[in-house]
Amino acid sequence: MSSTRPTEAKETAKNSAIFPARVWQSGRYKFGKLNEYTTALIEWYGWEHTYWRIAIMIVIGLLYWFSMTFSLSLPMQAVYGAIVFFVALYLRRYAGTLFTLIMIVFSINQSSRYLYWRVNETLVLDNWVDGFFGVVLLLAELYAWLVLVLGYAQTIWPLRRKPEPMPTDITVWPTVDIFIPTYNEPLKVVRSTVLAALAIDWPKEKLNICILDDGRRDEFREFAQSVGVTYLTRSDNMHAKAGNINRALTQTTGEYVAIFDCDHIPARSFLQLTMGWFLRDPNLAMLQTPHHFLSPDPFERNLGTFRRVPNEGELFYGLIQDGNDLWNATFFCGSCAVMRRTALLDVGGVAVETVTEDAHTALKMHRKGYNTAYISIPQAAGLATESLSAHVGQRIRWARGMAQIFRLDNPMLGKGLSLMQRLCYSNAMLHFFYGLPRMIFLLAPLSYMFFQAHIINAEALAIAAYALPHLAHANLTNSRIQGAYRHSFWAELYESTLAWYIFRPTLLALIKPKEGKFNVTAKGGLIKEEFLDWQISAPYLTMLTLNVAGLLIGFVRLFWWNSFEAQTVMLNMMWTVYNLVILGATMAVATEARQIRGAHRVNCNQKAVLKLENGRTIVCRATDYSEGGLGLVMPESEMVPLKSDVHVTLYLGKREFVFPASVVFARASIIGLEFEGLNLQQQMDLVQCTLARADAWLEATETQNIDRPMSGLKEIMQQSRKGLEHLSHFFMLSVKRRSYRDTPHIKKERGLLYHVLLNKDISSDALKEIFKRRLDIAGNIARSLLVTRGKGRKQAEKHPVN
Amino acid sequence: MTVIAVLSPKGGVGKTTVAVNLGCALAKAGRPVRLLDMDPQNAVRLHLGADLSDVSGHVHQTLKQESWHYAEYDSDYGVSFIPYGKVSEIERISLESQLVTTPDWLHDNLISLDHEPGLCVIIDTPPGPSIYVQQVLSVANLVLVVMIPDAGSYATLSAIEGLLEYYCASRNDFYGSYYVLNQYDAAVPLNRDIQSVMQNTLNERLAPACIHRDTSLSEALAFQQPVLQYAPHSQAADDLAQLTSWLQVLLNRIPK
Repeated sequence: MSSTRPTEAKETAKNSAIFPARVWQSGRYKFGKLNEYTTALIEWYGWEHTYWRIAIMIVIGLLYWFSMTFSLSLPMQAVYGAIVFFVALYLRRYAGTLFTLIMIVFSINQSSRYLYWRVNETLVLDNWVDGFFGVVLLLAELYAWLVLVLGYAQTIWPLRRKPEPMPTDITVWPTVDIFIPTYNEPLKVVRSTVLAALAIDWPKEKLNICILDDGRRDEFREFAQSVGVTYLTRSDNMHAKAGNINRALTQTTGEYVAIFDCDHIPARSFLQLTMGWFLRDPNLAMLQTPHHFLSPDPFERNLGTFRRVPNEGELFYGLIQDGNDLWNATFFCGSCAVMRRTALLDVGGVAVETVTEDAHTALKMHRKGYNTAYISIPQAAGLATESLSAHVGQRIRWARGMAQIFRLDNPMLGKGLSLMQRLCYSNAMLHFFYGLPRMIFLLAPLSYMFFQAHIINAEALAIAAYALPHLAHANLTNSRIQGAYRHSFWAELYESTLAWYIFRPTLLALIKPKEGKFNVTAKGGLIKEEFLDWQISAPYLTMLTLNVAGLLIGFVRLFWWNSFEAQTVMLNMMWTVYNLVILGATMAVATEARQIRGAHRVNCNQKAVLKLENGRTIVCRATDYSEGGLGLVMPESEMVPLKSDVHVTLYLGKREFVFPASVVFARASIIGLEFEGLNLQQQMDLVQCTLARADAWLEATETQNIDRPMSGLKEIMQQSRKGLEHLSHFFMLSVKRRSYRDTPHIKKERGLLYHVLLNKDISSDALKEIFKRRLDIAGNIARSLLVTRGKGRKQAEKHPVN
Repeated sequence: MTVIAVLSPKGGVGKTTVAVNLGCALAKAGRPVRLLDMDPQNAVRLHLGADLSDVSGHVHQTLKQESWHYAEYDSDYGVSFIPYGKVSEIERISLESQLVTTPDWLHDNLISLDHEPGLCVIIDTPPGPSIYVQQVLSVANLVLVVMIPDAGSYATLSAIEGLLEYYCASRNDFYGSYYVLNQYDAAVPLNRDIQSVMQNTLNERLAPACIHRDTSLSEALAFQQPVLQYAPHSQAADDLAQLTSWLQVLLNRIPK
């Protein structure tokens, strides 16, 4: 293993001080006295001496044990918890990693203290009902604690690796094979990826682009020939994608292998940005870049949070992989990555034992002492899964595969890994076991409501005094660490939605790792009418019903049956209400929003120039693009005739590209173009100007709101209300079997749309609302109206009426 | 007062169009602008909706030995302009011979006119070297050379540079010469190539935006309007807007 790596890593990390998403602006919190003291502490010579370090470790260990175990009376515990929390609140104002570390210590300490108290004082095993439910809940809480601590360790100091520049002498650049495996995806999807790969900036004779077609399709063979890329296929489909890649390894010779899923479109800078590290570190086996998505995933689409709230994957690609990188534990994610051929062959090619072959391959590399790296700059982009069921199916595969690795090749056991690598891998795998604990939390208060089980045997106020600091610190600290990549309380929603589906496969994979398939069938294509996916939401409906029943019983217990322990009833009722909020939000996720167009449309906002048949030109804005099409918003009063042939200019930096197209849609200021008769070069240019625009991907997160713990909760509550509204609406609908009727909010939206199309007087706030919520044509109309209004106002200011 | 000379190595590159439209765009951005036509073609007035029957210009004033003040017209587009005037061959020859003996003719006449603070005088010149260009270059603070992206235009680059070197480089009230590409069409490979060659030779002396080949420009002339007025959403108007903000930056750099 390269000996240079750890020090390099730490230097890089020191240089890029990590600022949390929100830092108080005052200089005191950036440069004040406390900062000076802590800097002095960091620079203290004692850290370099073994004896000092051991002594300090022992003292800290003792202090830690003491602070976890010392017992306080109930009021004193409340005061103690409050004081520690306020100190954490104050420290949060300071920028810098050291303060994050202090907050982590506080959080782990408070959570440990809570669990210590739970184990020692609240577990009653003398009756069967209390004992059973109590132990089950405690196990779930221990799991949560473990994942919390491992999560802190994993993301304690994200490396933020910078790209390494390539040598100026091109003759020393290595040869690279680009693999684009495909099985049954249509050619129009693979086409853009191949065209974008052709445009990658790399010496042509050193680049070999291969389509790995497991579908044995002539159409693909002909396409490969026409654009001059290699076409590889095989007679069987053994081991699916992993087998496909392994077969291709025997038929190619490049020193490096870059892998793109057939719907991940690479930026032209991909290789130049990633290959530098391979030349610098001869022991580097794999370098991963993030998966970036151009279209909203089902969560974002159904909740209307695209580009506003970080999506499910952002935590992983924005933070966790960067955190893994510090510990040399970045793992391969199946696409958008480069691997060194010798290293890949050394571990026997891509792993075939599990269904998450990617992570397993990286684990094997680490066991053999290779390094891996992560660069957190999107260098490829694709379209997100279309429906919730497809999304769930994908997550099931991940969860099942990770559980398989955990069972077959457990990272805590076996040779070759450092302790932190073991912990990072373990966390990545343990994370996917959240299904059962999450459901336990969603149902736990019901054991009291239904069976009067005292699962936490303590008075309600004591539970609050211990549990609140534990929960509050965990949320506060995670908001600081993860806020930019995941908003507070959103993990609850993401995990709760998937919990039921991944709990069975992970459990089965633990018991019988080589068996079982759990795939929810994907209902691809167009979602014409808004509908509630009853099939996928069935488990949540069940839990929702149980919690509603529990809440009703809670009232009975509060006033009649258990009025002698009103505090306990109320605590359980509050917990039930919280669960209802989360479950309500999962209902909002399960309500599939309408998709207006068949082909995926990717939103954009870039300058374009339209040249009409008569030679006149119009400067306009491109608002979305899809396979072979472009949507434009014209300036006011400019008319474009339908079906006319035009030329459209798109810009890439200062360079401009002209494409022939025809107008296939024109209404008001919105027009739609279809490209026709593009030659190969033009097709490549078009992909570069649209889907493969890396500059646009970087701006994607700029529109996101900043995380504040309480606003995260508020957003979840709003989503929940929407979800429950949907639920009652679709429930009534299916009971009455009436024809389709709009929900109130759709009705309102449709009314607004009608006004917009007729250009009626409508408030700007309402327009903004439509623009935010609608990704389709209504959103575009709203945007263009907003733009023209903005201009009108500016002009009015310039020329005041006398 | 800042004097901007608009030059071109050869005819038909759209120099007058660029001069007038840039002037109108500058005026729209709030800068007082006076357009001065030094080209015997007398075309500036055509762009500005002037009364075609009125043929007087500064040549007549010079020959009558009267002030240019009476040759200045207002337009509907925020700029005032002084046309060359429709003159007979005899009048032109007599003026040009007069210019040879009075090298400060243009300078003195410009000074004699009253000018608002921040005034920008844009002078349209005949293509190629001439007695007019000689006088204009002796008073210019900034020079814009209009080119089209073809080989012929590019070949004249060194001749223009020589001219600028001779008349302008040594004056300390001269603040640089810049090149503007007109009639650019990104769909034509030769246009793109010439553009990148010029970018490499001239660097920041090439204006950051080209003016694209656009029918709106010639249509605007037919309607005797600046293109910003006639087709505000056209590509040419957009290019001119970009050029104007670039020109504003250049003008603001000039010490008062």
